[in-house]
Amino acid sequence: MSVLVFLEHHDGELTKGSLGVLAHAVALGDGDVSAVAVGRGPLTVLAAAAGKFGAAKVYIAADDSFEAPLPQPRVDVLHEVVRTGGYDTVLFSNSVLAADVAAGLAARLDAGLNWDLVDLVLDNGTLVGKRPALQDSVLVDVGWRSSHRLALFRSGSFDAVATGGEARVEDLSVQVQEHSRGARIVSQRLQLNEGPSIEDAEVIVAGGIGLGAAENFALAEDLAAVLGGAVGATRAVVYKGWYPHSAQVGQTGKTVTPKLYIALGISGAVQHKVGMQNSKVIVAINKDPNAPIFEFSDLAVVGDVHTILPELIELLRARKSSS
Amino acid sequence: MTRPADFPPPFDAREFVAEPTDPVEERIEVGVLVVGAGPAGLACAIRFGQLLEENPEVAERLGDVPLAVLEKGRQPGSHLLSGAIVNPRSLRTLLGDDTLADMPSYGPVPKESVYLLTGTRALPVPPPPTMRNHGNVIVSLSDVGRWLSGRAEDGGAMILPETTAQMLLVTDGRVVGVRTGDKGRGSTGVALGNFEPGSDIVAQVTVLAEGTQGHLTGVALDQFDLRGPDPQVWELGVKEVWKVPQKLDRIIHTMGWPLRPQAKYREFGGSFVYPMGDGMLSIGMVVGLDYRDPTLSPHDLLQELKSHPKIRPLLEGGERLEWGAKTIPGGGFHALPKRLHAPGLLFCGDGAGMVNIPTLKGVHYAIEAGRLAAETAFAAFTRADESPTALASYDDAVRSGFIGKDLYEVRDMRGAFGRGFVVGAACAGAMSLSRGRINIGRMRTDADDAHALLPIDRPVEHPTHDGAFTFDRLSSVFAAGNKTRDDQPNHIRIQPRVPADVAQLWAHLCPAQVYTVGAAGDDGLVTVDIEPSNCVQCGAISAKGGRLTPPEGGSGPEYLLS
Repeated sequence: MSVLVFLEHHDGELTKGSLGVLAHAVALGDGDVSAVAVGRGPLTVLAAAAGKFGAAKVYIAADDSFEAPLPQPRVDVLHEVVRTGGYDTVLFSNSVLAADVAAGLAARLDAGLNWDLVDLVLDNGTLVGKRPALQDSVLVDVGWRSSHRLALFRSGSFDAVATGGEARVEDLSVQVQEHSRGARIVSQRLQLNEGPSIEDAEVIVAGGIGLGAAENFALAEDLAAVLGGAVGATRAVVYKGWYPHSAQVGQTGKTVTPKLYIALGISGAVQHKVGMQNSKVIVAINKDPNAPIFEFSDLAVVGDVHTILPELIELLRARKSSS
Repeated sequence: MTRPADFPPPFDAREFVAEPTDPVEERIEVGVLVVGAGPAGLACAIRFGQLLEENPEVAERLGDVPLAVLEKGRQPGSHLLSGAIVNPRSLRTLLGDDTLADMPSYGPVPKESVYLLTGTRALPVPPPPTMRNHGNVIVSLSDVGRWLSGRAEDGGAMILPETTAQMLLVTDGRVVGVRTGDKGRGSTGVALGNFEPGSDIVAQVTVLAEGTQGHLTGVALDQFDLRGPDPQVWELGVKEVWKVPQKLDRIIHTMGWPLRPQAKYREFGGSFVYPMGDGMLSIGMVVGLDYRDPTLSPHDLLQELKSHPKIRPLLEGGERLEWGAKTIPGGGFHALPKRLHAPGLLFCGDGAGMVNIPTLKGVHYAIEAGRLAAETAFAAFTRADESPTALASYDDAVRSGFIGKDLYEVRDMRGAFGRGFVVGAACAGAMSLSRGRINIGRMRTDADDAHALLPIDRPVEHPTHDGAFTFDRLSSVFAAGNKTRDDQPNHIRIQPRVPADVAQLWAHLCPAQVYTVGAAGDDGLVTVDIEPSNCVQCGAISAKGGRLTPPEGGSGPEYLLS
């Protein structure tokens, strides 16, 4: 078996995922493991890093034309390395790019690609992949019938453990094929979320049906902004289309544990409760004094969110600007 | 006066009938395909496995997967709910006494009592002959389902959970299998990152054992024009399982309160309380869905029942463990399909209406029908008979066996209750004492949604719930183990704008709080807001003017004790 690992990198650093796959391939202990990095030069720093994680040899294909994260030129490079280096096993850590490269290389080599693996073991000299199935309740063993074996691993499958070492570096100059130059990147954008996500937020302001209308979520957003928190929502308002599903807290949404959870017009059905009951301090504002949420809140405010909130926001803003 | 039937759901059975579309090499090929891992489907799987073991040469002809069972729940048993008191005769025939001894059960029925309830009193009445349960056993049907699925797998069946049967595959007038449902679609139908398309499963014989309100059963009955002489009608059962400190020494059935006796309300039903060993009991309320008061809420009737002085002490000091709801086909003999087979297809169990309402039994018919379906399919394989009538002998076996005989004896009993409870009970008693020889004449039952709704006049508001002894519907859905993925297409077909009384009817009817009455428009109609992921797939909406289709596989309740 001779193994090649595809190294993905961003901003001059190898991804944790590809280092994890590399370290695992080395740990299998069946001969030297090589790796390949493709991108705009210089990439020698990456080669050195890969060496620390056990790569015996690192191929580098550095060229300005490789800057755009397009799969086909990378397929050309990998195809060339596999062909000339005689590799029979190529491993990838899953990403949008790696999945495309793996699929393209599989087609080029007419090789089997096992997808979504979480482990790879040697069983009496035979390579066996482990793939979760049936909603991750079981692991199935998968193998290859093709002469080349390709595998794409789920991100986070392996810890990237540095073992120390130095890799031999081989610079490549690969002629990218005509048909691989057909695609170009028009623009690339980074999505930045404003404020913390609800999983990370220390303060969550969540709205329920009691807010009355979608536009009243502006109040929740204002309150969250002034407290530096994120906005959550109940299932019922997500159903009504008042707020996106990504903000849903509860049994079938996200489970959150902020330091402060402010529930606006939320009755406190058990489906919601199980998603937020471990918040450190729960403050509930609701018109209905019998709302179940008051049974598990630390501070219960019986009143109309529409009158309380504007005043509360103003007070907090005033305090913030004076401090 | 408004009738729910005047506002039919946007649904056409032909949407769910198709030719296979997957490329031939990608189709999953099986010998027998069973839809539904309930008593009927699993009995079919078990019997078929026995026959293959005795006749390996037939097994060889059926390929790698001689028999597969599709189950829409997360596991077999997830969607099974019943009282349940089971007549063990079909289990004994299927499994033999030795194996049957291992079945999870709470033992034989001890003493039994029947009461006629008023708001404050309980009058003991002698159990009518149909309600004598000597020799029957108390079980949790979801538990029994899980156990039977183990026996089926031991016998070589392949069970595919979290898989819905979405479309009936029909080629040249012959059923050739089903197409399974897609998974991983968002609420607008768009494919999400984890999208998995359904697949064509082609089979030489397809057995529909979907249970009450079966989706493809309904589609197939329309496709092959098999609806029986009477429309099918349903009861809705809502039940809870309680952990209790004191042992209940008898099974209890009640009639009367909180249902009203006047004929105009058409409130037919009753309650049951069954012990489950020393420390648990099962309590449920069953209501005929031909009722006419739009504010009747079967879930709240169960909550009200628990407060009755005869019932409350049974639960004192206890704790609710589980909640669930399911419809029961109640049309009996006259509502059976014209034929129980079509080319390549067999119908079994509750889906086909094999339930005896006066005795409150159907599980043993489902098991017997499943067994007979396996034998019929096997006989056709042995003869290599692929003619359109290859499965016709199944009808004779069901109708001349005890299923047909039992249902014939009580054929007009349910209809009698349309005349009010007291007259109905007297007629039913006479019919059953004479084993069907005295019959007051055929009373055609109308479909449940064909009864005009009454003006809203229910005097009492439902009591508020304390969350310890009585429960609201949303926390009950939680107690059903339902954690359905919210972001999936709506699987419930209803008219989105209806008169206010129809909207009220749906909002009160649904034990899982799927429907709420929305805004009124200028045209006198209101919108109906729905939360499909609350749905526990009881099927009540299909009886009262809507249509349930299968949501994504693995959705719905996770019954463990029901």
